[in-house]
Amino acid sequence: MKSDYILDVQGLCKAFGGLQATTEVNYRMGLGELSAIIGPNGAGKSTFFNLISGFHRPDKGKVFFKGANITSWPAHRIARFGMSRAFQVSNIYPKLTTYQNVRQAILVQQKRTLDLFRRAEKLARRDTQELLAVTGLDQHRQEVAGTLSQGDKKRLELALALAIKPDLLLLDEPTAGMSVEETHDTMELVARLNREMGVTILFTEHDMSVVFGYARRLTVLHQGMLIADGEPREVRANEEVQRVYLGEEV
Amino acid sequence: MSAKKLAWAGAVFAALLAMPLVLGEFWVLVLTEILILGLFAVSFNMIFGYMGQLSFGHAAFYGVGAYTTGLMMVKAGVPLGLCLPASMIMAGLVALVLGYFCIRLTGIYFAILTMAFGQLIFYIIFQWYGFTGGDNGLQGIRPPALLDGPWSYYYFTLLVVTAGVIVMWIISESPFGYTMRAIRDNPQRTRFVGVNTKKYMLINFVVAAMFAGLAGGLWGPFNRSLAPDLCNWHQSGVPVFMTIIGGPTGFLGPLIGSVIYTFLMAFVTGFTEYWPLTIGIVITLVVLFLPGGVWGLVERYGAALPAREGPPPEGEGGAS
Repeated sequence: MKSDYILDVQGLCKAFGGLQATTEVNYRMGLGELSAIIGPNGAGKSTFFNLISGFHRPDKGKVFFKGANITSWPAHRIARFGMSRAFQVSNIYPKLTTYQNVRQAILVQQKRTLDLFRRAEKLARRDTQELLAVTGLDQHRQEVAGTLSQGDKKRLELALALAIKPDLLLLDEPTAGMSVEETHDTMELVARLNREMGVTILFTEHDMSVVFGYARRLTVLHQGMLIADGEPREVRANEEVQRVYLGEEV
Repeated sequence: MSAKKLAWAGAVFAALLAMPLVLGEFWVLVLTEILILGLFAVSFNMIFGYMGQLSFGHAAFYGVGAYTTGLMMVKAGVPLGLCLPASMIMAGLVALVLGYFCIRLTGIYFAILTMAFGQLIFYIIFQWYGFTGGDNGLQGIRPPALLDGPWSYYYFTLLVVTAGVIVMWIISESPFGYTMRAIRDNPQRTRFVGVNTKKYMLINFVVAAMFAGLAGGLWGPFNRSLAPDLCNWHQSGVPVFMTIIGGPTGFLGPLIGSVIYTFLMAFVTGFTEYWPLTIGIVITLVVLFLPGGVWGLVERYGAALPAREGPPPEGEGGAS
């Protein structure tokens, strides 16, 4: 199946026990998009990410990424192929320093992790330093990652996802737990990655100001089903969306 | 390596070179044993400290290494210099097969499966009278004439163990070594940056087994005979004890543990048969009052000593 889409999800279904977490979701992303998926808690956003990144296997449906059918690939292979992911709860190496965290992911990207005999300390210095600077973690480089503030942990999480130079970046609530200022900085960085480096980005978010401020396309999930998809302005006007989700105020 | 660390390593090595000059034969034998078991314990800690899994069958690889060298020397008269690499290779091959299954599990299940496989190897050696001598053991393993004496064999052991420990230290500081720490601390994150964690765990398992095999290979010519008990699960407990006493968080922890454990054993068994009781009390005290082992103490109070090589594994039980 050839397509111009970087991501092409077809008829995706997943149930956990009796709970239908994802129902017949079709979703396509063009190269270079910066899009958001929203939905109330339990709408199936995280499950959707888990299904396309190889964390869970779908019951039905297919996932194509860069033209390849990756539906049954293990997570590490999908990551290698260029899809990277930052988790909602920061998922870092708490006992390594910030610098070692980032270096580790970069060494993976540089395919050097099977090297048993060179000193890791001497490798990937420039790239590590660069990524630390880009993500604003430079002043924390020697700190043990587990002791970082919540916002910095999320930033480190983003740095790890970026280190492998992804074509598609999945961000699960990238600004959760951040201050207003940190949120702004992080989203500016995300927008810049998209604009300047051409990374296709898909994110979920609860903060509507972030969603409407940055996403150029908005998709709404509700009870595992995709109920609206389009430009943020259109989606905001969609009656069903207003009813099930945005109800209170948008 | 920083200059300070290099100085420390140099001082320790110089002490190890000089000590036998003033010690009697008994203590030279004890020192040799410390080195061999220390190598064994450091290889165990590649799995425990760096990969975060508790292997309770590591003696299987020690035993395979010991019997490889022992059988080659006794039955075919192969020189020791060829037997030791063969021991590493045999232990590595056995680990490749057993590890294929073990690395699929983590935590307590990993520990149990490694122990079960370890016992399997033990019973094969124990029962195979025609080849291994079974529970009669294997006698008459004599080191080459040049090394045939406590002092010369000590220096040979010191050379081999130092080389082995240095290679393992290099591995622990390599991108591979840091990938093992990454898998230990957060296997999920490691998969999601694109690492096939199971493959890396298997490689680490095999490498660790090879060094255990090397340690085993050194044991036969030292002890002049082998018994299947060498790969029994009691023997698998030895590096566990040493590592817990010495501390799993530092690369040298298991070596320190070997010094304490082996010296203590040599000393205590000189006047009482209650060695198991003694070591039981020591382990209990360490676990209760010194959870990071001796190295943990060094880390807390000895800023002047070499910085730790790796961060501590979560919960000393080695759960994933």
